[in-house]
Amino acid sequence: MRYSYTKPRKKSIFTPELKLAITFFMITLGMLFLTYGFLSFKDFSFQSQKAEMIQKRFDLGEAIEAMKAEVALINKESLLGERITTQNSVLKDSITNLFDLIPQRITLSEASLLENGLILHGITPNKDIYNFMLQAPLRSIFHKTYSSFYPLSNGWLRFVSTNYIEDDSFENNMTGTTKEKTAEEGEDEN
Amino acid sequence: MFGSLYLKVFINIILKRSETTVYIELLSNKNIIKNIEETFTTKSINEKMLDFILEYTNESPFYYVAILDTSSAQGAIPTCSKNQIGIFHDVTSSEHRCFKERWSYFTSREDLYALEKTYKPIGIDFVFSPFVMLAEFFKDKIDSHLAMFILVEEKYLSLAVFDKSELLFARHMDVQKRRDEEALLVYDEKAEELHSYLDEGIDLEEINPIDELEFLDDFADIADLDALEEIDEFADSQDLEEEFYQDQIQESKGTLSEGFNEDFQRFLLIQSSVKRFYSEEKYKSTFVESVYIADGCGVSQDLKRYLEEEMFLSVYVRKIDLAKQVCELAKAELNS
Repeated sequence: MRYSYTKPRKKSIFTPELKLAITFFMITLGMLFLTYGFLSFKDFSFQSQKAEMIQKRFDLGEAIEAMKAEVALINKESLLGERITTQNSVLKDSITNLFDLIPQRITLSEASLLENGLILHGITPNKDIYNFMLQAPLRSIFHKTYSSFYPLSNGWLRFVSTNYIEDDSFENNMTGTTKEKTAEEGEDEN
Repeated sequence: MFGSLYLKVFINIILKRSETTVYIELLSNKNIIKNIEETFTTKSINEKMLDFILEYTNESPFYYVAILDTSSAQGAIPTCSKNQIGIFHDVTSSEHRCFKERWSYFTSREDLYALEKTYKPIGIDFVFSPFVMLAEFFKDKIDSHLAMFILVEEKYLSLAVFDKSELLFARHMDVQKRRDEEALLVYDEKAEELHSYLDEGIDLEEINPIDELEFLDDFADIADLDALEEIDEFADSQDLEEEFYQDQIQESKGTLSEGFNEDFQRFLLIQSSVKRFYSEEKYKSTFVESVYIADGCGVSQDLKRYLEEEMFLSVYVRKIDLAKQVCELAKAELNS
């Protein structure tokens, strides 16, 4: 049935008062959601930062541990270096001393430094010079001294002197403790 | 969806001669929870009326304003066919609707705009034609009778002749302004007679209406329609006029009431309309024996008597509350 000349106007439950109230509540809710969102974001940000910090702290802890290990290794290396330096100094001194030991009239052709000994090859005009001028100091240093001579065509003698230090004494020498040892009597194979 | 949660407020406006009646009905799920009627002394809308209406429209966003069309350029046409409408009325400047595919009703588009403009502060949802109201009000009779149906408003008169739901003739008239020549002539003639009586003065004791109306009994038995010529003579009878006038005096203590004048004028308008119905060829003329009056303003018994005695019609008067009827139409329209 459509009897009216006009159509009824569209009715809406959204009256101006209701619209105002809804707008007010929407704004309030919007602000609440924005605040909630902002706080959530901040919380998330803080959580992320916290996790990052924890990870960083863990990494730093690990780095510290690694550095500590490195420091320990370096310390060890340093000690080793020092020891080597010492050993080298000792060796240098020993070599210096060795060459100091060699008299003018004896000529060395070869010198082999062993861990616990010294092998010298050379030529000497005669045995006495060798015995008095070289073997005596060697005996004062090494515990065992063996000498071998080979006559040369010009009358001189080629010698091979093998000298050993006993283990205990060697260890003591390595730690820098110099002990005077009495040379034991050597045996001449000649 | 949420509409059922709200009250439905129907604001029904009936424009009278110098007043406006506003009937408001508040409905909750089709149950009337409140109804109120107020009359305001305005022909449009004044502050008091606006406040009264706003008081109720503020209660719900679902309010509907309905009004009974007051355009003097309205009417009804006995066809819905666009080709035939022009025979009866030029509808180029009119708004027209079809009633159940049987007949049309129309109103001036300009008047509709004017109505909408007048009631702009509250707006208008429904504008109903008095012919629709008439058809709905006498639905039970229109469907099965050949009769004339008249809606009497304070200012207007809407007349329609239906033959078993088929509209034969319709006319909307302004009781005060619209007087066609025929009506004017008859009115002037009768008014002259009345004035002469008034000038002479009326002695109530001298008047014996029953005696003077005795000869009317002869007319009561008239069956032959050819006797209508005699009716004209009967209509001119001074006795009947006197009788008519006497009753008025008795009822309202010696004053020639406006009601009488109006009812008489209404009668003249009806009479002229019937003459026009019978005379104009474009209307499917049929002899009308009965008239059903929807009395929306409280017409006196004189109109009934006049129609019965002057036109030999069987007159049936039903009281109609225009505002409530408009409300019913609005409710029906909304639920359709």
